Amino acid sequence: MTPRACSFLMRVPSAAWAILLMMSAFTAINPRYLTLDNMVNIVLQNAVLLILALGATLVILSEGIDLSSGSVLTLSGVTCVYVMKRLMDAGASDGLAVVVGVTVGLLTGTMMGVVTGGLIAIGQMPPFIASLGMMGVGATLALVLAESTAIYINNPIFSFFGERLDKSIEFPLMQYVSMPTVIAILVFSAVWILLHHAPFGRYLVAIGGNETGARLSGVNTVFWKWMVYVVAGILAAVSGVTLAARLEAADSIVGVGWEFDAIAATILGGTSFARGKGGIGGTVLGVLVIGVTRNGLNVIGVPSLWQPAITGTIIILAIVCEVILARWKERRRWLWQS
Amino acid sequence: MALAVVSRTRVAPATERRWLLGTARFMVLVGVCLVMSVLTRSEEHGFVFLNMNNLLNVVRNASILIIIGVGETITLTARDVDLSVGSVLSLTSVVAAIMLNRYGIPFPLAILAALLIGAVLGLINGLLITYVGLPPFIATYGTLWVLFGFAYLILQGAVIYGFPAGFRVIGNGHLLGIPMPIVVMTVVFLTGYLLLHHTTLGRRFFATGANIETARMSGIKVERVIIAAYAISGFLAAVAGLVLIAYTNGSEARIGDSYLLPVMAVVVMGGTSLAGGQGNLVGTLVAALIMAVIHNGMNILAVPAIWQSLVVGLLIIGTVLADQGLRKRA
Repeated sequence: MTPRACSFLMRVPSAAWAILLMMSAFTAINPRYLTLDNMVNIVLQNAVLLILALGATLVILSEGIDLSSGSVLTLSGVTCVYVMKRLMDAGASDGLAVVVGVTVGLLTGTMMGVVTGGLIAIGQMPPFIASLGMMGVGATLALVLAESTAIYINNPIFSFFGERLDKSIEFPLMQYVSMPTVIAILVFSAVWILLHHAPFGRYLVAIGGNETGARLSGVNTVFWKWMVYVVAGILAAVSGVTLAARLEAADSIVGVGWEFDAIAATILGGTSFARGKGGIGGTVLGVLVIGVTRNGLNVIGVPSLWQPAITGTIIILAIVCEVILARWKERRRWLWQS
Repeated sequence: MALAVVSRTRVAPATERRWLLGTARFMVLVGVCLVMSVLTRSEEHGFVFLNMNNLLNVVRNASILIIIGVGETITLTARDVDLSVGSVLSLTSVVAAIMLNRYGIPFPLAILAALLIGAVLGLINGLLITYVGLPPFIATYGTLWVLFGFAYLILQGAVIYGFPAGFRVIGNGHLLGIPMPIVVMTVVFLTGYLLLHHTTLGRRFFATGANIETARMSGIKVERVIIAAYAISGFLAAVAGLVLIAYTNGSEARIGDSYLLPVMAVVVMGGTSLAGGQGNLVGTLVAALIMAVIHNGMNILAVPAIWQSLVVGLLIIGTVLADQGLRKRA
């Protein structure tokens, strides 16, 4: 292959190849896989994961890790629905209950982020141990608040945030648009602006690249590192509330393991721990890799008992391939330049 | 003036500092025991906490934690964390359970198979970290979920119980009046101590963890050392799993989940640095005992189970913060 063609192929992210490969495999097994309806379904199912993974990407770009995001997701969903239910029982209108409930849910996530970030930035704890501790704290609070079960909620305004739009708006093509997708796109845009057109993003990448260097050139590393976890907490809360709206319930263990999916999506998207490399565009592809795998296994009829093992193995293998490929590409690029 | 500043900020010699921290940890253990004895004392039952039966119970409960903790201490000495210990415990115990209960395989063979699987799983962790180059907490957190998936698949989501009496001896039996888990734990602890402090491999663990580049340059094959550390950790998680299911006489796919947080807490409380190269096995032992005493006390005081994991979460955060404060001051 000529270097030009080769360099074009290499510029396509490996996650995109993985998606293409898996989609053709699933289509070969079951032709019904490749329908517009199913594609829309994949996007709807993974909008929540994308919001969570964006937070994970920001944290990993700053060379940290957040293992608590799954339990923050659970906790903010639970607090949101809990408050909403209490208000509606007390006779508040649907709209008021939604506004207060969502606000409380988002504030909960923010507070968790403030504490985790504070422990890491000010207390100088290693990120994974601080977030592991907060994972225990968050999971426990959610269990206590929801009394170890799920809280169901019946509120049309709240449910609207988790549905396809054709249920409430009479307009052509609305069955292909869903509220979680819209929220995910809005959040993605906000994070994009934050990362590429605001001081936050500049300092975040500087901290991830070389923290000492950033501090010595006058960046308030403690403050910005703190903010990274606060933003990640807010994003986890947004995903938790959206998930609760989609399920019309808040389960006390719904978020267990989501943090792994979020981190895996980030790494599959090409964000690497070393040198603050990568970005949120890749994370979208990473989320799709996971989403396509899950959905495909369902469509081709793999029993649900097998799914955790198979999905986990595929994700780990994909990560291994991605890391090895990235290293190989780096070496090739270096060879061409010299 | 300058001299006064210098003498005030004098850096304590490493041995003196370690002795101080070790003593502090031991005093905490004694203190916690005293507090629990007083808190759990009642008019009709007397000292519920402070009697031989309950104390043996506490040590037996700590045994599982100590066995896993020894492995975790070794990986932290050589490189970094092993977050997959809980899942390795689940998977190996599930495999052993199914071999014993459903296929009637003789128990020495089942034990051997489980231990082998544990070591191989640790080996895979080590390979992912060294040759693939994944950050340790990513690699081991990934295997955590994969192994849970397989444990779930093997058991089909069921609970399995009832093992042959011969097998149950390692969890239920007594040796010279001492419960077997404590005997196993003692053997594991002493072997681990000898390995870490009196063998070449042990020195290599410390050297690799302290500075991997220096270790590589002085001729240590660091990849092999790291893989060995993770294989030992997997092996010990399997040992803990076998003892646990032999004691409880049952197994399920999530049996090891609840051990991850306490093990991390115990190892860090024990003074093993997360930065590598500073394993402290005695500290792990004392910290596990502290943890077991707190758990036991909360059980006697009838604290609901879900609050207990909150306490563990806060404990881990508190001790790491205190540890860092002490290190900076000392």
